[in-house]
Amino acid sequence: MKLKLFILSIVTLLTLAAFSPVAKSTSYKCMIQLINYNGEGAYIAVSLLDAKGNYVETLNVIGDDNEWYHDLTNWWKYFENTTNTIDAITGATISGGERTIKVIKIDDDKLNKGYKIRFETAVEDQKYVADDVTFELTSESVKSKVDGTGYIRYIRMLPQK
Amino acid sequence: MTLSVWRYSHLVLAVSSSIFILLASITGIILAFEPISNRVQPNTTNNLNEITVAEIATTLRENYTEIISVEIDKNDWVTASIIDEEGNNEIFYINPKTGDNLGKPTETNSIFQFATNLHRSLFLKSIGRFFIGLTSLLLFLISITGIFLIFKKQGGFPGFFRPIVKEKFNPYYHTLFGRWLLIPILIITISGVYLSLEQFAIIPKSKIVHQEDTLFAEEPLLALSQFEIFNNTKLSDVRKIEFPFAEFPDSYFLLQLKNKEVLVNQFNGTIVSEFNYPFTALISYYSLILHTGQASILWSIILLLACIGILFFMYSGFSIALQRRKSRIKNRFKKDACEYVILIGSENGNTFHFANALHSELIRLGKKSFLAELNSYKSYKNMQHLIVMTATYGKGEAPTNAKKFNALLQTHQQGKSFDYSVVGFGSLAYPDFCQFAYHVDDMLQQHANSNRLDNVFTINNQSLESFNQWLLQWKDKENLDIRLPEAILSKKKRKTYTFEVTKNTKADEQYDNTFLIQLKVTLGKVRFKSGDLLSIVSDKDHRERLYSIGKSDGNTILISVKLHDKGYISNHLNNLNIGDKIECSIVKNKGFRLPKKAKNVMLIATGTGIGPYLGMLHENNEKSGLHLYWGGRKKESFNLYKKEIDAQLEKGNLASLRLALSQEQEEKLYVQDVLKEDGEKISEILKNKGVVMICGSVVMQKDVTNTLDEICKKYLKKSLSYYQNKGAVLMDCY
Repeated sequence: MKLKLFILSIVTLLTLAAFSPVAKSTSYKCMIQLINYNGEGAYIAVSLLDAKGNYVETLNVIGDDNEWYHDLTNWWKYFENTTNTIDAITGATISGGERTIKVIKIDDDKLNKGYKIRFETAVEDQKYVADDVTFELTSESVKSKVDGTGYIRYIRMLPQK
Repeated sequence: MTLSVWRYSHLVLAVSSSIFILLASITGIILAFEPISNRVQPNTTNNLNEITVAEIATTLRENYTEIISVEIDKNDWVTASIIDEEGNNEIFYINPKTGDNLGKPTETNSIFQFATNLHRSLFLKSIGRFFIGLTSLLLFLISITGIFLIFKKQGGFPGFFRPIVKEKFNPYYHTLFGRWLLIPILIITISGVYLSLEQFAIIPKSKIVHQEDTLFAEEPLLALSQFEIFNNTKLSDVRKIEFPFAEFPDSYFLLQLKNKEVLVNQFNGTIVSEFNYPFTALISYYSLILHTGQASILWSIILLLACIGILFFMYSGFSIALQRRKSRIKNRFKKDACEYVILIGSENGNTFHFANALHSELIRLGKKSFLAELNSYKSYKNMQHLIVMTATYGKGEAPTNAKKFNALLQTHQQGKSFDYSVVGFGSLAYPDFCQFAYHVDDMLQQHANSNRLDNVFTINNQSLESFNQWLLQWKDKENLDIRLPEAILSKKKRKTYTFEVTKNTKADEQYDNTFLIQLKVTLGKVRFKSGDLLSIVSDKDHRERLYSIGKSDGNTILISVKLHDKGYISNHLNNLNIGDKIECSIVKNKGFRLPKKAKNVMLIATGTGIGPYLGMLHENNEKSGLHLYWGGRKKESFNLYKKEIDAQLEKGNLASLRLALSQEQEEKLYVQDVLKEDGEKISEILKNKGVVMICGSVVMQKDVTNTLDEICKKYLKKSLSYYQNKGAVLMDCY
């Protein structure tokens, strides 16, 4: 009898677990096209910000030498104090006129809730651009093309099926 | 001493950039291994020229959900960036033929990362980059000044490729390696300078901008395998293929080739936009490849050798410079107060060593001596004795610090009459041995007040023994009680070995007071070859005697010695019995060894000069045609060697033998006379890359070389010096 009860409770637990709302996420292809500037490759941090503008998550980092990360001032202030690892989401820098395509993952529940995505950029011996591209995440904006204000000419996003 | 402009700039440039060059070449050595280690990885593919873009694009589309890009790096590794079914971005090496995943890229080894950073910017960012770029430029200039120094040393542009005459280790190899590594170093420095100029945007890094904000035609729809440009392009020409961002008409394939960039319509493969990379981009691409050694193991090995070479140049260059600094002139007395004047002509400062020794010895004896370079020749009010010690540079020219002597001699008059002697320093390996010393002698002879004490005395390879001979000869004429100073002697300490006498024919039983003595090392192993020299230092006056070695059975040394009545060492040797011990050392004499490749070799000797040949005949396992010409006084003179020579004739180790016995007939017959008779045969040997070896007295050497020169001119229409320059004439004369 006790055994039956035990099995029943396990099944119930598993059923509950399966239906409980686990955050679903979607992959987005994201193309970053830079303007034709002269100089070294650009370091770019792609971050998720909440409605108040606080950093929530690092989505991607372009530039794999962490000795230069502090040039991305605002992001570094946040990132320095987190324990997150970003090895899986870092890549080599790109230079003026070049472009790169990255895959970023964003939880579906961050859409249409005032969360923002920000691209900040820095180039060795040149100025730091705190928000080269920033826009609110909506079902529409994640399929769009957005022009940059600094080293970025535009970014384009496209959800993966 | 005076430095030529080229030498001065060569040195100043080297000194000012030495620390950076040191760092750059050490890190360069480490970095040379990066492309080498990359190339041997299994990811390397060799068949990129057999695969088209159409094939790889089709294969990848079949195997993966979505492809972002395919990149081919300078190691010919193919990397694909794809999105898998779970929407994750994956980057891995692929086999370009099958599309198989070959594993994730590994991080660059941290040693290489560290070395790259140090090599590129010294960890100082832009400032460091600037200094490294500047260093590269300086090294380029050092190489250029080096070329001019080689021209000067070798006698003009045509001399650049001529063999360099062996002198001391450092100058010899500095020049030799300098010539070998010139091209790689020029390439490294030019590409390095170019890369830095680009870094600082002095050369604009040009960029291509495609017109891409348009919608491209969606019709007709073709398969990837039917795209014309994809079928016509091999992977070996590709740097990167970017796949279209989306299946919208505004997305396209971006194809980056080695020389151009092409936008390709993603639906039908038509070329939408095409730009050739500007010339600067190509230079930049090749600068990087050449500078880093990527793309070829062979080239990275050459770069490695060049880096090691640069380290050696720094070491040898600085030690040559230090050596030269030692030879600075210090005078205690005013020029007009001195009765002895020593004038020096020297290019490398080697002659200073001897001149300084004489100078300080004269002062020690209470004489007033004045030391100066030939170029600073003036009037000397009290000069009674003039000694000129000079080297010769290039083809019989004056060394840098003696170029003005001829003119100065005309301008400055000497009031009193004076004695003079000229000592020439040089190497017998040069055709124009001590030529400038003879010029100086001619000039002085024409001087009104001069009194020539003696013939020009020549010294080969800075032989201490010869210098001492001159000194003895000179002091007799000048009535001075002078001797070779300790300082000059103690410099030449060599490792000594104890040898045991295994045979001694003794002079008293031989004709001509000549004997053969055989020695064997008692302890350890000593390496030598026939033609090397055995150095025996007298315990009485610390003078060194050199004997040419013949290597005979079982690593024994055979030397042929003439007994001199007052010769301390020759008497000592003659008195040795079997079993007696003697301390000697070996002096390598690489310029006088039996050539390995020559088919025919002429061995010319008089008297004891036959010594090394006895060993060479013995060693003649390759069975080269050896032809011995020997000059002696009487038939009996040859008896000492007859048994051995006959045996070698029998064995075939000696092809022919000709004797010139001066006292056996009315008219004296010398070895050069026999050579003249065989002129045609000798010219054939020289013509067919044979070699002539000469061993014996300097007097004989002069006669023999004159005769050989006549033979060359008669039969070959070339002078002997032509063959000397080719290294076909080897001499060991004393």
